[in-house]
Amino acid sequence: MKTKIFHRNIGLTGLITLVLGFAVLPAAAQTTQTPAATPAATPAPAQGGGIANEKKFSPIASGKWTGPRTADGQPNISGHWSNTIGNHNNFTDPQGGIPNDPNPRRADQGPRESRAPSRVSDPADGQLPFQPWALAKVKEFQVGFHNPVKPEYIEPLARCAPGGIPKSFYWHGYEISQYPGYVLFQFNSGTRIIHLDKKPHLAANIKLWNGDSRGHWEGNTLVVDVTNHNGKALFGRTGEFLSENAKIQERYIFNNEGTRYNYVAVFEDPSVYTRPFTVTIPARKYSEKDQTNGWHFEAEPATHSGKDIKLDRYERICAENNGGFGLGAK
Amino acid sequence: MNTLLVTKTRFATTQSVSTKFAGLFTLATLILVFSSGVALAATKENVPRLANGKPDFSGIWEATSAIDFDLEPHSNRKDAPPGAGVVEGGTIPYLPSALEQKKKNFENRNTDDPTLKGYTPGVPRSVYYPEPFQIFQREKDLFLVHQFGHSVRTIYTNNTDHPKDPNDWWLGDSRGKWDGDTLVVDVKNFNDRTWFDKAGNYHSDALHVVEKWKFLDSNTIEYKATIEDVNVFSRPWNISVILHRHREPNFQLIEDYRFTLEYDEFYPPKPPKQ
Repeated sequence: MKTKIFHRNIGLTGLITLVLGFAVLPAAAQTTQTPAATPAATPAPAQGGGIANEKKFSPIASGKWTGPRTADGQPNISGHWSNTIGNHNNFTDPQGGIPNDPNPRRADQGPRESRAPSRVSDPADGQLPFQPWALAKVKEFQVGFHNPVKPEYIEPLARCAPGGIPKSFYWHGYEISQYPGYVLFQFNSGTRIIHLDKKPHLAANIKLWNGDSRGHWEGNTLVVDVTNHNGKALFGRTGEFLSENAKIQERYIFNNEGTRYNYVAVFEDPSVYTRPFTVTIPARKYSEKDQTNGWHFEAEPATHSGKDIKLDRYERICAENNGGFGLGAK
Repeated sequence: MNTLLVTKTRFATTQSVSTKFAGLFTLATLILVFSSGVALAATKENVPRLANGKPDFSGIWEATSAIDFDLEPHSNRKDAPPGAGVVEGGTIPYLPSALEQKKKNFENRNTDDPTLKGYTPGVPRSVYYPEPFQIFQREKDLFLVHQFGHSVRTIYTNNTDHPKDPNDWWLGDSRGKWDGDTLVVDVKNFNDRTWFDKAGNYHSDALHVVEKWKFLDSNTIEYKATIEDVNVFSRPWNISVILHRHREPNFQLIEDYRFTLEYDEFYPPKPPKQ
C-alpha cells in the first residue's frame, strides 16, 4: 500500500516542502530579473517552491484569436496551466510571505517594488477597498492564523474545502479541457464546469464554493459570469473574503501563441467592499516539453511503449488526509 | 464509322447489362442489410460518436436509485427498499473470514458507510451511486465528474498502461480500450477505504475491476463490471446495471462538498450586528 500525500492541506510533508521552498526562493527571486515580455525558462522542478519565479508580467490585449481552434470552434487553450507570481500566502503582496509569520524568511525580502505587483490591479494602490468592519476581520485573521484558537482562523482549504475563486488560480497548477458547450477547469482543489451552453443560472438560494459559471468567447477572451458564490473560500493566508452577495465577471485573456493568459476579474460585493475592484492573475501553460513537478505542473509521464511523452493526471481527493493547517486544530 | 458505331453500341450494351447486374446485387445487399438490421438496431441506432468514430458517452448519467442499498437480492428493510440485486448469480462469493467482516459492516452500516461522510464512493460504486455524474470525453481520455464525493475520475484511452510505481487511489487507476463499440476499462491500484453499497459489501486494496461500457440506445448505457479481490472473494463476480441520461431541461451538476457543512458557520466573517 502506497499513498501519496497531497499539499492541499499542509501536513508534515507540506511543512518540510514549504521550509525548503522558502530557503531557496529569496535567492532565486533576487537574481531573476525576468523581462516582462519574456516567458521564464522552465522553472526548476520544484520541492513545491518555485511558484514565485516571475516578478512582472505583461498585459495581454483583448482582440482576435488567430491560434488553433477546437472542432467546435473555440480557441484551443486546453492543457496544463499555472500562475507565475506567487502562491496563496499573501494576496496583495504575492511574493511577500505570510503576514506576522512567527518564522519568517531569514533573507531580507528587499523593498516592496522588487517583488511582483499586487493582484489587485484596481484600485491603483493595490489594496482591497474594504469596509472598516471587514478590514478589522482580515487583520484579526492574519494574527489568528498563526495560533488558530478559533475555528474561523483555520483556512477552509486546510479542511479540504475547494480553493474557490480567485484562490484556485494561484494555488497549484490546473488543467483546462474543452468540449462542445463547456470549458472544464480541474484545479488541485475543486472543479469548475464553465457552461457555454446558455443554460440559465441556478436559483439564487443555491450557494457554492466555486459559484455557478456561464461563459462565452469574445475573440481571444473567455468571458465568464459567476453567481451563486457562497463567499466561504478565503483569498489566501491573508484572509481576504467575499460575501454571498458577490458578483464576479471574469475575463481570461489568452495570447495568440496559446502560451499565456491573464485572468482579469471584476468583483462587486457591496456587503464587504466600498467599491468594485479588479483582480489580475497571470498564468503560463505547461506542455510535454516541460518537466512535471507535482506543483505547477501536476502530472506524471505515463507508462506506454512509444517514445513520445503522454501525461497522467493525479487523482485529487483531499478528504483522506484531512488534518488542518493549524497542525491538527479541529 | 460503322465499326466505331458498332463498337460503341456493343460497349453500351455491355455496360447496360453490367449496370442491371449491379442493381440487382445492390438490391440483394440492401435486403440482407435490412433483414439483419432489425437485430442490430438496438446497438447501432443513433449512437452518438466522436470525430474518430468511437461512441461518445458525453452527458450526465445516473443509475436507478435502489441499486446502492444492496447489490445482492434483499427484502425490504427499515432503511432500504427491496431489490432483486444486480450480482450475476445472486450473491457475492465471499471468503469465510471476509464474510464475517461484511456482516459486521452490515450491522454498522448506518454509521460506518464511508459515503455518510461525503467521501468518494470509489469504483464501481460511484457509477451506480444515486447521484448524477457528467462524462467529458475526448479521444485520449474521459473525465467522470461526480456530483457526490467531489471527485473526478480519469479513464485513459490513449494506449497507456497502469503506472509502474502506483499509489493507492480512491478511484483506482483506469485504462480503457475499445472493443468495437464497447469501452473496456481495467481499474486497479485502489485503497481499501470504500464500500460497494450501503449494505457493507467491501473490498481490500487488492481490488481489480474490469468495466464494460456500452450504449443500448443513445440515452442508455449498459454498464457491466467484473470484480476481483483475492483477499476478500473466492472468485471474480459480475454486476450489470443500466445508466440513464438526464434529459430534464437545464439539468446540470451542482457541486456537493457536504463534508464542509459542519464548519460552514465559521466562514465568511460576518459584519457586527447593528
